[in-house]
Amino acid sequence: MSDVTLYHWEPNANSGKPMLALMEKGVDFNSHYVDLLNFDQHKPDYLAINPEGTIPAMTHGDRVLTESTAMMEYVDAAFPGPKLMPDDPKDQWRIRWWMKFMDQWLAPSFSMIGWSVFIGPMVRSKDPDMLKAAIDRIPLPERRVAWRKAIYGTFGEEEMKESQRRVAFGIRMLEEELSKREWLASDQYSLADVNGFNIAYALPLSQPELSNDEKTPHILEWLRKIYERPAAKKTWAMGKTDLATRIKILERS
Amino acid sequence: MALVLYHGEPNGPSLTVLAALFETGHDAELRNIDLTMGERHQDNVPSGVEVHMSIEGEGPVLVADGEPMADSVFIACYLNDSASISPIAPQDPFARWQMMTWCRQIIERVAPAAAYLGVKAHLADKLSALDDAAFEKLIAPIKSEDLKTRWADIRAGAFDDAKVDDSKAKIKAAVDKVETQLSDGRDWLLGDFSIADLETYAWLAGMRDLEPGAFDGASRTAGWLDRVKARPSVSRALSLARTATPQDIWAPGPEINRWG
Repeated sequence: MSDVTLYHWEPNANSGKPMLALMEKGVDFNSHYVDLLNFDQHKPDYLAINPEGTIPAMTHGDRVLTESTAMMEYVDAAFPGPKLMPDDPKDQWRIRWWMKFMDQWLAPSFSMIGWSVFIGPMVRSKDPDMLKAAIDRIPLPERRVAWRKAIYGTFGEEEMKESQRRVAFGIRMLEEELSKREWLASDQYSLADVNGFNIAYALPLSQPELSNDEKTPHILEWLRKIYERPAAKKTWAMGKTDLATRIKILERS
Repeated sequence: MALVLYHGEPNGPSLTVLAALFETGHDAELRNIDLTMGERHQDNVPSGVEVHMSIEGEGPVLVADGEPMADSVFIACYLNDSASISPIAPQDPFARWQMMTWCRQIIERVAPAAAYLGVKAHLADKLSALDDAAFEKLIAPIKSEDLKTRWADIRAGAFDDAKVDDSKAKIKAAVDKVETQLSDGRDWLLGDFSIADLETYAWLAGMRDLEPGAFDGASRTAGWLDRVKARPSVSRALSLARTATPQDIWAPGPEINRWG
C-alpha cells in the first residue's frame, strides 16, 4: 500500500497533470476518482481533504498538497525516478513561465470553450434543485460563479469570442516555441510538456481548423511523441469518460 | 553570469525582483525605466515572447546572458537557485511547495486586485491627461492584445464597480490570511524569510493607504510589514525610488480572472 494518494478526476487538464507526472516518475500511488460531474469535489468527504473543493489533491503520508502545477514540482523533487526538471535554473525559469502562461491565460480559454460544449450540457440534464444545491455548496466564490456559468450556459458572446482569440493565438505561440526546440521550454522532456499535453492533447479534434498537420506540424509531432510514452498510455487508460478517449486522435495512421 | 535588470519604481513586481537580487548577492546592472509610460515596450528594452505575454503585465525584465526574463516570482526563484546557497527559498520539497503555492495565490488573487485599485487611483488620471496621439504611440508596440485593452480601459476610466468591490474584498482576504499565518508568533510567513514575504509585501505595501480598512486591527500584519521594509534588501530597493512615494506608482498588472 503506497503512502501516496491522488484525488483526481479524468486524465485531463489539472487532474491529468499530477497523474502523468507520477506515472513518469514511476511512483506507486492510490487512485481516488472524484466525479466532477457528480460534484463529489464539494461533498464533505472530499472537503475534509481539501477545504477549497478543487481537484486534484494529493496526500503523501500526512502531508496534503493542492495546486496541480506546484504539486507536480513536489512530485518531481520528492521522489526518485527520471528528472522532470532540467538542472539549469534558467531552463527551470522558462518551464515555470510556460506552465503559468498555460495555467492562467491559455487553459482558462480552452476550458471556457470546453465547459460550454462539454461539461455544461452533461450536467444540465440533472435535477434543477439538485444543481442549485450543488452550486450553493461550492466553497470558493469564484468557482461558484464559474460553475453557474457552465451549468446555465451563460458565457457571454464577448467572452467566448475572446477565448477563441486566445486559443488561436496560443496555438500559434506553441507552434512557434516547438519549432525552436524538441520539447516545450527546454531541450528535455519536462513538467512543461506534462502540463501542456494535458491542455492540448485533444487539439486536432477540438480545433481542427487551427491545429492540424499542415498548420501546426510541430504541435502534432510533440503531442504524438508524448502520447507514445508508456506513462501517458497508462494515465489515459485510467479515464472513465469520452473525454479521455479523445486521445486516440493522436494514433499515427 | 551577466545580468541587466530593467525595473520600474520599487513597488509590486519591480520591488520583488530588486529585493531578490540584493538578497541573493548577484551583481547586476540596473536600468530604471518608467513602466507607467510603457517604456518596457520600447526598442531599447530587450524582449521576447515571455516578456510580451507575461501574465504579470507591466513587470520588470531581467536579461540574463542575453535572454530576457519576466514574471517576478520565477525570476526570484532563478536568482535564488543560481546563487551558491539557497538564501530566499527552502530546499525541502514540501516547504518549496508551500512557498510556490502561497506565491501562486498571491499572483492569482491579490496581484490583479492590487493593480486594479492602484491604477484606478494613481494611473488613470495621468493617462487621460495624454493626448490621443501620445497614448497611441505608447500602446502601439504592445504585442499582447489583452494588455493593450487594459491600458485603454485605464485611460478611459472604465472601471467596473463589481471588480472594484471584489478587488477590495481580495485585499481584505489577503490581510486576513497574513494575520492568521502569523498567529503563532512567527516573524516570516512560512517560517524562514522567503520569496513569499517579498511577493506578498510588494503587492500589499501600497494598499495600506488605499484600503486602510483592510488593515484595521491587523497588528501582526503591521509588524510583519515593518520587518520586511526594514530588511537591508528592501530598504536598498526602496532607496532607488525616483519618486517620494513609490508605493503609489502602479502600471497595468495581471488581469482579473475572466471566469469571475
